[in-house]
Amino acid sequence: MDSKKIRTIVVVAVFAIMAIGLIAGIQFGTLSGFGWDTFSAICPIGAFATMLATRTLLPRGVISLIIMIALILIVGRAFCSWVCPVPVMQRIGNFFKRKSVKKAEDDARAKELRDIATYELSCGKKCATCGGCKQEHPKLDSRHAILGGALASTLIFGFPVFCLVCPIGLSFATIILVWRLFGAGDITWSVILVPALLIFELVFFRKWCGRICPIGAFQNLFGRFARPFRPQIDDKKCIETTAGKTCSKCAIVCDADINLRHPAFGEHTLDDCTRCRACVDVCPTKAISMPFIAKKGASGAPVMQVADPLSGVKEGK
Amino acid sequence: MEEEKEKQPEAPQGKKRAHSVSRRTFVLGVGGTAVLMGLGALRYVGHNPICRPPGGQDEIHLVDACIRCQRCYEACPRDVIVPAHIEDGFLGMRSPTLDFNNNYCDYCAEENEGRPKCVEVCPTGALVLPAGATAQSTIIGRAVIDERTCLAFRDTGCRYCYDACPYEAVVLDDYAPYPRPHIVNDKCNGCGACEAACVSLKAGSIAEGATERAVVVRCLDAL
Repeated sequence: MDSKKIRTIVVVAVFAIMAIGLIAGIQFGTLSGFGWDTFSAICPIGAFATMLATRTLLPRGVISLIIMIALILIVGRAFCSWVCPVPVMQRIGNFFKRKSVKKAEDDARAKELRDIATYELSCGKKCATCGGCKQEHPKLDSRHAILGGALASTLIFGFPVFCLVCPIGLSFATIILVWRLFGAGDITWSVILVPALLIFELVFFRKWCGRICPIGAFQNLFGRFARPFRPQIDDKKCIETTAGKTCSKCAIVCDADINLRHPAFGEHTLDDCTRCRACVDVCPTKAISMPFIAKKGASGAPVMQVADPLSGVKEGK
Repeated sequence: MEEEKEKQPEAPQGKKRAHSVSRRTFVLGVGGTAVLMGLGALRYVGHNPICRPPGGQDEIHLVDACIRCQRCYEACPRDVIVPAHIEDGFLGMRSPTLDFNNNYCDYCAEENEGRPKCVEVCPTGALVLPAGATAQSTIIGRAVIDERTCLAFRDTGCRYCYDACPYEAVVLDDYAPYPRPHIVNDKCNGCGACEAACVSLKAGSIAEGATERAVVVRCLDAL
């Protein structure tokens, strides 16, 4: 079983358990506030926002933030591919797309990435050792601006603003509303408007995760220091380094738009790796691994070779 | 936000490198921030008055702190906490309110020795009770009887609400042939027992034009 299937099962199972808990009144909470009884791990954005809005330090909020940051420092953005329901919902959305359209899009993406590989390989130097294509990625992008905007708006208007439109919150709300509609005969426009807003967000912003989501931005801020389980290419096995042939399958498969072999050309860097293992699965020569401790000699993205992980902070970005 | 850096020639097909599209980053960042500021301004639009679970009586604090995680909804042993409807305003949507159709709030007297579970589980302290708060000092709202639809006011002798009230906040007058119920405002804390017991909307007893029960709890701001 490939990890995509396992991932989907994990995401659906977590969501289903929480949804059943909501319906049956068993206390698991939702992803916004997960826990039993008085124990709660709060969504980091929610915890931050609620503390900003009430201008108080909440013990549960502070502890939740510390736990979340500690987890992110180990596994980076793993939440995004292993727990968050949004990518799975987007895949469900893709399911309704016309096959020809979908194929054309996939082909265009594959061609673009293969062309990049061909172009880079054509320079005649060995990719792994060359470093000529190294290019610095912006340390912050639109997601971080939206995270800042959400927190600024919370500070000004004094309530957790992003929670109103958070797709994770909206998906649990949809479950409750549909259940209340049929279970309790509770008729409200919310039962149409909440899912409509959710669908609008996911369909209209197809790159929600990589360009909008402030939760992803938060994880990126700390995930950039997370070294464990980052994918690494073994250059002795990689087709592009051993045979000089265009492959780039790892880049084509990456949902986070990271180009593992040619990092300068990816929209994101390994700082945004969600540990989904898609690249490990797809690699035709099994050259990619995700070790707990990075092996020396094997190459990942150049950003991995930055000696001082705090350099980005020192630059004041 | 970030300047485009072109240290090396473009890829052969003239495609720009995906990550160096600074205009898109700028538009999304500014647009997203503007949308979030607009959503924040909903604070000044406000919402209809909403009855809150115990601990949510300070409306400003509740809106400040609630992250709509639905823990209280889930924890309520009597299933009276429900997410507020969008009809009451986008700002209030999904925040906790009370539905006394089938049950009422007994302050978890039976289920948790009088410590409301919704307050205990609320992870952000949006539901928080002042020290020494009791069921009777926590005013969720106040029951209001609609004399046009109340069965007792049509001389049926109905007294379900009177029997249901745990706080003796419903009194019967001396009207003949059958007494009629009235709410004692000082004693009513809006627990909803009367509303849950009211049969005025049940089949066979629907008064013309009635859309809600003859006794309903209104939050104080709506009175």
